[in-house]
Amino acid sequence: MRKEVKNIWIGEQDLAHSEKFIEQSNQELSLIDTLADSETSSALGSNRRDFLKFLGFGLGAATIAAGCDIPVKKALPYVTKPDAIVPGIANYYASTFVHGGDCAAILVKTREGRPIKIESNDMAPSNYGKTSARAQASVISLYDTNRFATPLKKSGNGFTSITWADLDKEVKAKLASAQNIRLLTGSMPSPTAQKAISDFTSKYPSAKTVAIDAVSYSAVLDAHAANFGKRALPTYKFNEADVVVSFNADFLGTWISPEKFAADYIQKRVIKDVNAPKMSRHYQIESHMSLSGSNADNRILVKPSEQGAAIAYLFNQITAGGAPSLPLNERAKKALDKVATQLKNNGSKSIVLSASTNVAEQLMVNAINQALGNYGATILAGTNYYGKQGDDKQFDQLVAELNAGSVDVLIVYGANPVFTHSKGKELEAAIAKAKTKIALSIANDETTKLCDYVATIPHFLEAWGDVKISDECTSLIQPTISPLFDSRQGEMSLLTWSDVVTPSYYDYLKANWQATAFAAQSEFASFQAFWDNSLHNGLIKNSVSAGNPAYNNAAIDFSSITSPSKAELEISFFEPLGIGNGIHSTNPWLQEMPNPIDRTVWGNYLAVPVQFNGVSAFEGLNGVKDGDLVEVTIGDVKYTVPVIQQFGQMAGTVALALGYGRMEAGACGTNVGVNVNACVERPGGYPKYYSDKVAVSGKIGKEKEFSCVQYHHTYGVKDKDKATGQTINADEAATVFFDYFTGAKGFQGAITDRSIIYTSNVADLKENLKEVQEKRAHAQFLNSKQIYGGHDALYNTGHHWGMHIDLNACIGCGACAVACMSENNVPVVGKREVSRHHEMTWLRIDRYYYGSVENPNTVYQPMMCQHCDNAPCENVCPVNATNHSSEGLNQMTYNRCIGTRYCANNCPYKVRRFNWLDYTTADLFPANQIKKFGEETPYGADNLTRMVLNPDVTVRSRGVIEKCSFCVQRLQEGKLTAKNEGRTLRDADVKSACQTACPTGAITFGDMNGKDVLAGKLENPLNYIVLEEVNVRSSVNYTMKINNRDESLEA
Amino acid sequence: MSSPVSLIREPLITGNKTYHQITEDLISPTEKTPPRSWIFGFMVAVFFLAVFVFCVGWTIYHGIGTWNLNRTIGWGWDITNFVWWVGIGHAGTLISAILLIFRQKWRTGVNRAAEAMTIFAVICAGQFPIIHMGRVWLAIFIFPYPNTRGPLWPNFNSPLMWDVFAISTYFTVSLLFWYTGLVPDFATVRDRAKGFRKKVYNYLSFGWTGSAKHWQRFESLSLVLAGLSTPLVLSVHTIVSFDFATSVIPGWHTTIFPPYFVAGAIFSGFAMVLTLMLVTRKLFKLEDYITIEHIESMNKVILLTGTIVGVAYLTELFIAWYSGYVYEQFAFFNRALGPYWWSYFGMMFCNVVSPQLFWKKSWRRNIWLTFFLSILINIGMWFERFVIIATTLARDYLPSSWSYYSPSWVEIGIFLGSLGLFFTCYLIFSRVAPVVAVAEVKAILKSSGNQYKGQSQHHDDHHEEVHHDHH
Repeated sequence: MRKEVKNIWIGEQDLAHSEKFIEQSNQELSLIDTLADSETSSALGSNRRDFLKFLGFGLGAATIAAGCDIPVKKALPYVTKPDAIVPGIANYYASTFVHGGDCAAILVKTREGRPIKIESNDMAPSNYGKTSARAQASVISLYDTNRFATPLKKSGNGFTSITWADLDKEVKAKLASAQNIRLLTGSMPSPTAQKAISDFTSKYPSAKTVAIDAVSYSAVLDAHAANFGKRALPTYKFNEADVVVSFNADFLGTWISPEKFAADYIQKRVIKDVNAPKMSRHYQIESHMSLSGSNADNRILVKPSEQGAAIAYLFNQITAGGAPSLPLNERAKKALDKVATQLKNNGSKSIVLSASTNVAEQLMVNAINQALGNYGATILAGTNYYGKQGDDKQFDQLVAELNAGSVDVLIVYGANPVFTHSKGKELEAAIAKAKTKIALSIANDETTKLCDYVATIPHFLEAWGDVKISDECTSLIQPTISPLFDSRQGEMSLLTWSDVVTPSYYDYLKANWQATAFAAQSEFASFQAFWDNSLHNGLIKNSVSAGNPAYNNAAIDFSSITSPSKAELEISFFEPLGIGNGIHSTNPWLQEMPNPIDRTVWGNYLAVPVQFNGVSAFEGLNGVKDGDLVEVTIGDVKYTVPVIQQFGQMAGTVALALGYGRMEAGACGTNVGVNVNACVERPGGYPKYYSDKVAVSGKIGKEKEFSCVQYHHTYGVKDKDKATGQTINADEAATVFFDYFTGAKGFQGAITDRSIIYTSNVADLKENLKEVQEKRAHAQFLNSKQIYGGHDALYNTGHHWGMHIDLNACIGCGACAVACMSENNVPVVGKREVSRHHEMTWLRIDRYYYGSVENPNTVYQPMMCQHCDNAPCENVCPVNATNHSSEGLNQMTYNRCIGTRYCANNCPYKVRRFNWLDYTTADLFPANQIKKFGEETPYGADNLTRMVLNPDVTVRSRGVIEKCSFCVQRLQEGKLTAKNEGRTLRDADVKSACQTACPTGAITFGDMNGKDVLAGKLENPLNYIVLEEVNVRSSVNYTMKINNRDESLEA
Repeated sequence: MSSPVSLIREPLITGNKTYHQITEDLISPTEKTPPRSWIFGFMVAVFFLAVFVFCVGWTIYHGIGTWNLNRTIGWGWDITNFVWWVGIGHAGTLISAILLIFRQKWRTGVNRAAEAMTIFAVICAGQFPIIHMGRVWLAIFIFPYPNTRGPLWPNFNSPLMWDVFAISTYFTVSLLFWYTGLVPDFATVRDRAKGFRKKVYNYLSFGWTGSAKHWQRFESLSLVLAGLSTPLVLSVHTIVSFDFATSVIPGWHTTIFPPYFVAGAIFSGFAMVLTLMLVTRKLFKLEDYITIEHIESMNKVILLTGTIVGVAYLTELFIAWYSGYVYEQFAFFNRALGPYWWSYFGMMFCNVVSPQLFWKKSWRRNIWLTFFLSILINIGMWFERFVIIATTLARDYLPSSWSYYSPSWVEIGIFLGSLGLFFTCYLIFSRVAPVVAVAEVKAILKSSGNQYKGQSQHHDDHHEEVHHDHH
């Protein structure tokens, strides 16, 4: 209120003490109150605060729109807005990822009608809703530029477009006149597809179906058929197993259903009580380090050809025996003796499994499990898994028929045997003998190329369908976008050719569900309610019978067990985790996802055993080093491949991944690596994924683009020093490049004394834990003595975002890394750029070996921005482009970044990524966007692939730094949701992309103040902070990695 | 310059020069057609300047990805070159300012060229922080200017921000100092010139008449600028060293950096002055003005600073060991024995071992050895910066991220091109301005000219005696 002050006046009215003037001047001050007044604001429809909000929003939106250096090309408004689509709000649809025998119940996140992200479906029973890296990456294959746009007909060497009507007319004519029709498919776990096929075969009785998997599961299926009368895989319950013995089966990486297995397995691996630590013990019997082997406590090294002998040896120990005694290395024998004791002691709480492709060996494995009482306890033979159904014998028959020229029409659906099968070359010639070849394909591949017609099929995200994943769960596939191209579902094509009248496959599917699944349930009275509920959940859970089918003691043909080879060198062929046996070659995210074991991308690298020379270097086979080129001769075929020194690779063995070297896989997959499928021999009709007819040359050159994202592989691997005979950290000795002829030794402790990784055997956890805690206490003491006060008080109020990563739960599968690329629009940069260490991944999984050089253990460490509260990157940025939010987030402002890279240099965790080149075509200079260094448009920069971009995340242009944001867009979304619901944000509302992708729940994101989801996690005594003594005050807690290594095995 | 000079001291000007001869000797190169050697040198320099322009253009057009830096090693040749050039730029100011204050008369023979070198070196240095930016077109963001973004200011905590001020201040003051010294010499050139040239030099000399008032102002300004420059000699490289010293990276985070960098800068600056002067002296026949005495004096500075640098290197090693801090220990272990051992070896040999030859007087006075070592020291000091920057980054905290780096052709081109830029500037300078400060040399003629040595112990050298000679 205006006070009267003598001698000070404004104008004559003031001097005259005019009443009106005084009133007016008071009113001026109260105008603010008037505007905030609810009555006025309701009259206005908004109040002053709203006005400021609108202003702020408008300004912010304009800044974002104007500030980004992205030319906006097209923007069309909806004429009529679809009901389900609210711009800016994501819709989630439950569906199923099914590709090449991998199945998982998923949720599909769509924005404005575009699927942009795959999430796990937590409603799925028994961990069938967990996502693998492949499932996470499947969304980008929807926008593959290599896809067929129309149905096609062969014309010369290529294809020409044809209408569906013409295609159907021609195909039907061929089918009608055909004497012998063959349908070659991949594993087909869809009940409705099976019905469509049976409709097809009833129309064309000569039609027979042959299923084939890209990597054979025939032997294990046949063995189960012999023992249990049904050719189907059992359900493995790793969450019940205290001892897991795996003969070369990479059940955490690629074997059967790895993400489900991982989720189960990890329940027995995470330490729940440090005072009474308990975990399962995992033995892996293999020659090449697989993902499962890297997670195992003990790896027992046997040559690929010794696998059968090793199984037979264990078989004789566990069962009544009878298997012949085959030559096997003595160390493996001793180790297997102890394994047998362990198995016997654990009774029915164990699992023995094998990836053997020999039926006799698989029968022995089943017999071992039967003898241990595992069936019904840890292995449910009555609850089957249907992802893998291929039958190699039927396929051989088909090839024979094709060769005989007796097949008139061959329909190929979901299989590419010309590439994946070792008889690919023979098949190529044989297929030519079929009169008509029809492919039901989404894009060109080696088999489709040979076909006369292509009935183009949609991507699974555009299609209807169902998948009986296992007896426990049947899952639905529903379209999340209208078909991008003129495609028709494969099943619909078969139905059309069978003259089955149905308006669409959707109706056919629904009718089938009404007749089967609906009829089998009693929960819902109306079909519509049942259907709506199933579609909403994406799946139905089936009741499973508790009993285990009777075990038939099938006769084992012991003579067919592989006898170990005497060859000096053997090579094993393995399915890589990313692209599988070539079935995901067209997927750039999977090509660029580092192989978790050797950390290479874009190609297959020959894994060679490595030795410490006792002084200062690791030596690979024949003296080769990482990135050297060698010539591998397998049989009669010579390949030139780069090598990688693989720790844990058994001496006398090498390994090379399958699936590379495709020649018809679009821009992304063609001519990447070498194809060794043809080297797989097939004794007895089953593929043998190794060869003993192998020779490896010395170094013949240097790989020009050696694309390995991690050059230093170890964290203190131990071996003997030649001079002193003492056991030393060999990798630390190997940090010396030149000793000035002084004989200077490596610096012992240079790596192991760092506070990056802490490991312990479960047996001496207490002592090791004490040591870690003392080290931490010392670091914290030193940190408390610094002069910089920090802003802890600020971060202790409100939200303080942090993360907890349980290294005991992390198996290194890479699902989080792919999810991060998908969520955050991380560009794919290609082989050349990765070879220059220009990869853009915000989240990487560091992999370190520790233990012995010959047979080490492994620890995986997901590493991303640690959101340090005393961040060294922030204070060095000259333009304030990176700074700290009051909620503890380390933020990047791309618009402000000028790209000095000082922050990246000063980051102790090296998680900041710089846009070296224009990876996204978001650049200022349009002329710069093509043909850079011989590349065409960068991967992912074309208009089709760009549809996968997450609109909530800025696409970064050249010259700026980027890094993990803790999925700040998800935080903002959570805040908006909370605000709309009129409540405060709970941290459980927000999950980071890596967290939801992780099949084992290793990553937990949450509020370190609110401690909703982090409660209990942050108090875990195993926790530590990486580089705590640097005092950057990281917000990410890791746990000490515990193994249950059986030390007695080494003796 | 009025202090008495001991008889024992060697003359700084030989050849019984008169004032007129000095003028003739030093001004005439600006008046004659350039010799073949100059033309050849200029063509080479311009060629490399063109390489510089091309490579910088290539970088800006295609992106920093044309360099071989990577996610681990964010700075390589770019910032190595920056620090190297800034270091070279230290000798000029040291000679002009600190030696002026210490009344070192021998500085008059070399100060002009050294100052010019400073300016051109700082110009070269200044290129790198700009072109190393990912988005150079937004380089304006580093300046604190009022704006409509809030206003949004740069981050005054960032050492890169401090660099902006340090380098620009240093450049400005050095330029002023250099130009101030040039004013009377430009007047001398003008007085001998005709026509258009006369007009141009008249402008450049600000209409200098040589009046007592002019000389008095000239002296005061020189002194003020010397006073301003003296702390800058110490501060600029101190601040450049903060780029590393304030970081958390082991091998960068050391308190020894400021003095160590300053010593290194003077060291490399003098080496570069020697390289240039030995050539200039020969080509321009300035043996009477840049005598063996000058060379020896500079070699003494090199021996001193080289030894300081050596002590700093050893101190670093000792402190790393003494710290008991594994990251620090490994950083230095890795420098010496790791994959970049050759650059550490090159640095140690060139910077610490080679200058020790100058303990021997006859070697200090050997022109060929001096020239060879000056080149060696320039190489060694480049290695030092490379060791600090690339070697340190290549293997820091997390072994998973360790990497290796070697430059691409673009980076090599930019470095060679920056030499082209430097020599183009220097060669133009040598044609348009006297490469030896005429007025200042004349000022010491009576005290340090060979014919005057021993004539009078207490003669005065008056400024009034310095006339502009007319034929």
